[in-house]
Amino acid sequence: MTGITLFKTALAVYFASACIYGASLWGKRVFPARIAAGLMFAALVVHTFSAVARWFPAGETPTIGLHDALSLFAWVMAAAYLTLQLKTKTRVLGAFVSPVICLFMVVASVGLGGAVNAPAMLRGSLVTAHVILSVAGEALFAVASCAGLMYLIQDGLIRRKKAGGMSRLLPPLGDLDRINHLCLLWGVPLLTLGGLAGSLWARIVWGSHWQWDPKQVWTLLAWGCYAFLLHQRLAIGWRGRTAARWSLALFVLLLVLLMAGLPFFGTLHRFV
Amino acid sequence: MRIVLIGMNHKTAPVEIRERLQIDCGDGGPALAELLGIPEVREVLVLSTCNRVEVLARVADGEAAVERLKEFIYRQGNLDAAELERCLYVHRDREAVRHLFRVAASLDSLVMGEPQILGQVKEAYRRAVDHRATGVLLNRLVHHALRTAKRVRTETGIAGNAVSVSYAAVELAKKIFGGLHGKTILLIGAGEMSELAARHLLRQGVERILIANRTYARAEEMAEAFQGAPVAFDRLPEVLPEVDIVIASTGAPGYVVTAEMVAAALRRRRNRLLFLIDIAVPRDIDPAAGEIDNVYLYNIDHLQDVVDANRETRLVEAQKAEGIVAEEVAVFEAWFNALAVVPTIVALRGKMEGIVRRELERSAHWLGGLPEEERSRIEGLAASVVNKILHDPIAGLKEESREKDELPYVAAVRRLFKL
Repeated sequence: MTGITLFKTALAVYFASACIYGASLWGKRVFPARIAAGLMFAALVVHTFSAVARWFPAGETPTIGLHDALSLFAWVMAAAYLTLQLKTKTRVLGAFVSPVICLFMVVASVGLGGAVNAPAMLRGSLVTAHVILSVAGEALFAVASCAGLMYLIQDGLIRRKKAGGMSRLLPPLGDLDRINHLCLLWGVPLLTLGGLAGSLWARIVWGSHWQWDPKQVWTLLAWGCYAFLLHQRLAIGWRGRTAARWSLALFVLLLVLLMAGLPFFGTLHRFV
Repeated sequence: MRIVLIGMNHKTAPVEIRERLQIDCGDGGPALAELLGIPEVREVLVLSTCNRVEVLARVADGEAAVERLKEFIYRQGNLDAAELERCLYVHRDREAVRHLFRVAASLDSLVMGEPQILGQVKEAYRRAVDHRATGVLLNRLVHHALRTAKRVRTETGIAGNAVSVSYAAVELAKKIFGGLHGKTILLIGAGEMSELAARHLLRQGVERILIANRTYARAEEMAEAFQGAPVAFDRLPEVLPEVDIVIASTGAPGYVVTAEMVAAALRRRRNRLLFLIDIAVPRDIDPAAGEIDNVYLYNIDHLQDVVDANRETRLVEAQKAEGIVAEEVAVFEAWFNALAVVPTIVALRGKMEGIVRRELERSAHWLGGLPEEERSRIEGLAASVVNKILHDPIAGLKEESREKDELPYVAAVRRLFKL
């Protein structure tokens, strides 16, 4: 029960943080964004406690359902963004990151208070590792795409010589590009490991690594795209505008595929 | 009238007159001593910068003091009175306070929002304090002015954006790269504006500076001044991939940096961002270079537009700043108006009587048990103790105000008794 209250509190504080970030954009002032970042940190702490409160009484390795996966997604985004903010001058980027966090928290709250224990098939530390690693990787890509969107806006402003109000508020291009770099650099290995853990487990419970399941295909596609992007970035020098465009486009594409595709295909790979 | 501000600034006086009046900035000692020698002047401060000469004083007899202060200024400038009269402004009391607050907040500056004036006001104040020329009023007034200036700086965007071309270039570079540490700049050609921009950039942490010039000797000369490296003009395509910021300002008739050169450089630097600043007329950098991804090209007109837009923003912010100044003037005025003998005595009595009343109320539970007569005796006793205690201070206050300067006493009483 404490877990649920804490989760709701975290959601409320994330929401407040998003509103203040919005005000920062609206009023073209950096100051509200500082408060919003503080709130986001507070929300992250509460959020952490809510997860602990949910998992701790469960004893042994808990399994991760849809609620936990989405909640984890939001948690990683917030944690990653706040960490990146320490290294770069990107306060206002939170205005794009925080609404996404709120969205995931809201969707996650649908499964709030659901059973912690899952069918035997989905129980085991390999499943937990699979979910945590994959979700963390994808959350980092979400941060990269937020940074990409902001990069494109800022790039457009500077290119069109509109270096006035809005451009002054938005973070420098160099910092946004660094976020893209760091998120890809961490996200791809995490997703790779997550995929490996998943396929090992699939081998154990389904008898084969690969099922041509829509979600498997989707994940492999996502992994392939981002690995390609990281490769291009490191080897050929896809930086700046190109990197921002690709990160954003890929994320939107994958999201659309996920939303549009999944309801039409039956999937073995269902969450709890 | 007790506060007078007399002086001239860049709006009222041409530079020929201002420069003749520059009141010795060395340590200001003689000028301050002379001003304090004027019998009506109690406290005084001289603010002398290249754009203004102002004397701020607390005086006893207003109009007489104004005349003496004017005489002082005529003497300093060694100028004809009629000529000076046209340039001088005299502000009294509230207007003087408002003027000082506006000056400190950089609302009265040639470049509105420039930060130096605050330091100059502080310096003028420090000099006046060193010569014991300030007292209760000016201390409070100057501190209030500094506080107002800080409020204006933090609450409005008046000092927020660059209003010079070279600084606008620096701000853009920061907007593009984030930090400038470890970056390399390339100066092509020489010129006041490009050197100024380079100096600003170096101060922001730019690590390396390369200098190219048609005359190699000139490049070497400049490289020495900037502690950079000279580059031969025909080696430009080779060094372009190494640099992050290019400032071009040659007198060449055609493009010195072509779009092909930039595209090739960008490939070699793996698309790392490149900022090109072209302040030459005719232009040095092919405008087509600005179309390439990750290349940002600003020419002199673009930079001028940024500056103009920033100037306009400053004007809007200045409106907010005027509001803040008005508020702070009102706060100061409330304090200042209370600084008279009669209101101070009234407030002092009021406070003491209030204490007696409250103490009697607190003791009501046992006072109530006493007969009416005894109770009124105790009340009389308390009132009489208060009167006796207050008698000497109040008499002293009245006497001081009749004989000489009452202000330090009034201020001390208000402060000691927290009135």
